[in-house]
Amino acid sequence: MKSKACLFFLLPVLILIIVFVVYPILGTIGLSFLSPEGKFVGFQNYVNVLTSDETINLKRFPFKHPPWGTLIHNAVWITIHLPLSLVLGLFFAVVLKGVKGSSVIKSLIFLGMVTPMVVGGWLVRFMFDKNLGIVNLFLRLAGLTYLADKTWTMWPQLALLATILGAVWMWTGFSMVIYSAALATIPKEYYEAADIDGASTFQKFFYITLPLLKPATIVIVVMSILEELKIFDLVFVATMGGPGSASNVLALQMYLKAFKYFEANEAAAIAVILALLTIFPALYVVKSMVGKQ
Amino acid sequence: MIISTDENMVLTDKGVKGIIAIVAIICLLIGIGIGWYVKPSPPPPKPTLIVIGPYSGDEMKAFTPVLKAAEEELGIEIEYRIYRAEELSTILPSHFAAGMAPGDVILFCHPVTIRKLAAEGHLIDLSEVIDRSKYPKAILDAVSVNGRVYGAPWVANLKPGLWYRKSFFAKHGLKEPKNWREFIDLLNKMREVIGRDDVIASPDSEGWPLSDIAEHFILYSAGLEAFENLKTGKTRFTDPEIKSALKDTLIWLIENGYFSEPEDWTTIMEKWWNGEYGLYFMGDWVLTMVKDPEDLDLIILTTFDDSASKAITACFPDFIIVPKYTKHPELAVKLAAFLASAKAQLVRVKEGGCVATHKDVPPDAYPASTKRLAERVKGLEIVFDLDDTVGGEFQTAFWDQLKRLWVEPEAYEEVLAKIEEKQPRP
Repeated sequence: MKSKACLFFLLPVLILIIVFVVYPILGTIGLSFLSPEGKFVGFQNYVNVLTSDETINLKRFPFKHPPWGTLIHNAVWITIHLPLSLVLGLFFAVVLKGVKGSSVIKSLIFLGMVTPMVVGGWLVRFMFDKNLGIVNLFLRLAGLTYLADKTWTMWPQLALLATILGAVWMWTGFSMVIYSAALATIPKEYYEAADIDGASTFQKFFYITLPLLKPATIVIVVMSILEELKIFDLVFVATMGGPGSASNVLALQMYLKAFKYFEANEAAAIAVILALLTIFPALYVVKSMVGKQ
Repeated sequence: MIISTDENMVLTDKGVKGIIAIVAIICLLIGIGIGWYVKPSPPPPKPTLIVIGPYSGDEMKAFTPVLKAAEEELGIEIEYRIYRAEELSTILPSHFAAGMAPGDVILFCHPVTIRKLAAEGHLIDLSEVIDRSKYPKAILDAVSVNGRVYGAPWVANLKPGLWYRKSFFAKHGLKEPKNWREFIDLLNKMREVIGRDDVIASPDSEGWPLSDIAEHFILYSAGLEAFENLKTGKTRFTDPEIKSALKDTLIWLIENGYFSEPEDWTTIMEKWWNGEYGLYFMGDWVLTMVKDPEDLDLIILTTFDDSASKAITACFPDFIIVPKYTKHPELAVKLAAFLASAKAQLVRVKEGGCVATHKDVPPDAYPASTKRLAERVKGLEIVFDLDDTVGGEFQTAFWDQLKRLWVEPEAYEEVLAKIEEKQPRP
């Protein structure tokens, strides 16, 4: 009787999940195994996508500049964006801890996080513009005219880096806020005990602060990886994946295939690949959260 | 005062006044009721049709009189909404698949997509509402499926060559070149005058401005036949004739720094107008965008003595399409027919910056700047541009790879190979 009641109350949610989540997922997976004419082609669409230069371009990677293929570009995103935004977030959280008026500075840093990615894309275009860009201005002041006299989003050597660095600015606020919250939970007694033992500032940071920030770090790492894998809007606006596909990413490749070239089957294959890539970090988060409960 | 002697029926002054008041109120109410009942019913509200088009800013200003004329002619209200063609390419298929239309009449410039949508049964057949003999056949063929026309042609634009300011040339004693050698001499003189190497402005957007430049150079250096064969795929971008033609002209200029780094086409237009650059390649709509169109003139490479063809490119016109899912099919079809008519095109061409596709629009309808343009392109064959004709993945790759070519000309072999990959197969 109790289980029947449970089922009754779960039914509306289950219906919604089946209609709006399960059915589209199964539909997309099904589509990825069909040809445009509707014939079953097995893994052909996956083979086409993964053997294409657009996805993995080993002729250019790693010794020539981009385009290296969308999958590699996403990997580059994780390699550069993740550590930079993580370290910067930690730096600001630690430096601003307990500082009077730090909430104002933190709010300013967090502004990047609440800015829509589409706006962020436009900002990236301006930030790295040879005439207007603030980054180019600093580079010019530093004497790096070779880099300062280029609009970064126009050059295949620099476009990928421009989008990544622009996103670092936007994402740093996220890690800073998480780390700030985590820092507030570390008991003062640990630092007092360390002071009595004569520990230096660096020792306190590396032996107390960092280990106790591990749960926050895991959350930031996983959430950042998810964001970096499904990055779309910023790249769409800033470079449209160009020039010469030098800053293209998987999600944009999927969009172009589906809505520009009307190749729904290969687009579905990319969607499944993207889902498989994101599912592992997502599962990790869910598992760790459920485990804690 | 006593009205009656019967004591039981005595009406006082007050009572009489009351009765009169009640009667007056009743009469008033009856009067209002009759008035309300017999009043003429208000005219039914005019139906409102949604027109979707890509025009904004100065182009929208030039388009608005046409919509006003349509409202008067058809007795309708028009709500104009701006959607770029790139947006429509993704919006229309999804809306139509759901049996919905974002607008009643849509101006859209991608003939390949129009044919696809028509073949899928999403568009109303306009064959019988336009006079097909009044438009160039090539234009109608571009939007025909099984001999039926699904797009009514609106006005078209030419992409004639490199614009310059006459006042700038006069001030610095510069002369229009007649061949490639003179053209290079002119560029070198401009370098001295302006004080920079990159004297030709490179307009950027999603990539179409660079493709227009590249196509002009293909017509100049490889010829008309090769240009047309590139559309069908019979000639490949990796063929030696195309490679060497581009290498000796366009790529040579980029390699030697004559072209600027690509920059937003409206921003760089201002810079060119202010004398920061000497030349600027753009379609004839530039005539509606500059402060003084009378100050403009052109260098058309394909009029050079050594040109491989005597032709220029034109955009496909925006085509007026009517979705099957419009709430006002009859009115929408009438509106489409009106917009494609000589009457509507006449209103538009008077504003400048375009040419009519309807044969009945007289030459004297054009403003002086467009008339002069017509004089300049007289005798040249006008062909539809390459990327719009092929469309799809080729168009995106062409735009994207040209952006790379502009900053990395030494990678031209790879760029051409990437474009060739997406070319149609004959």
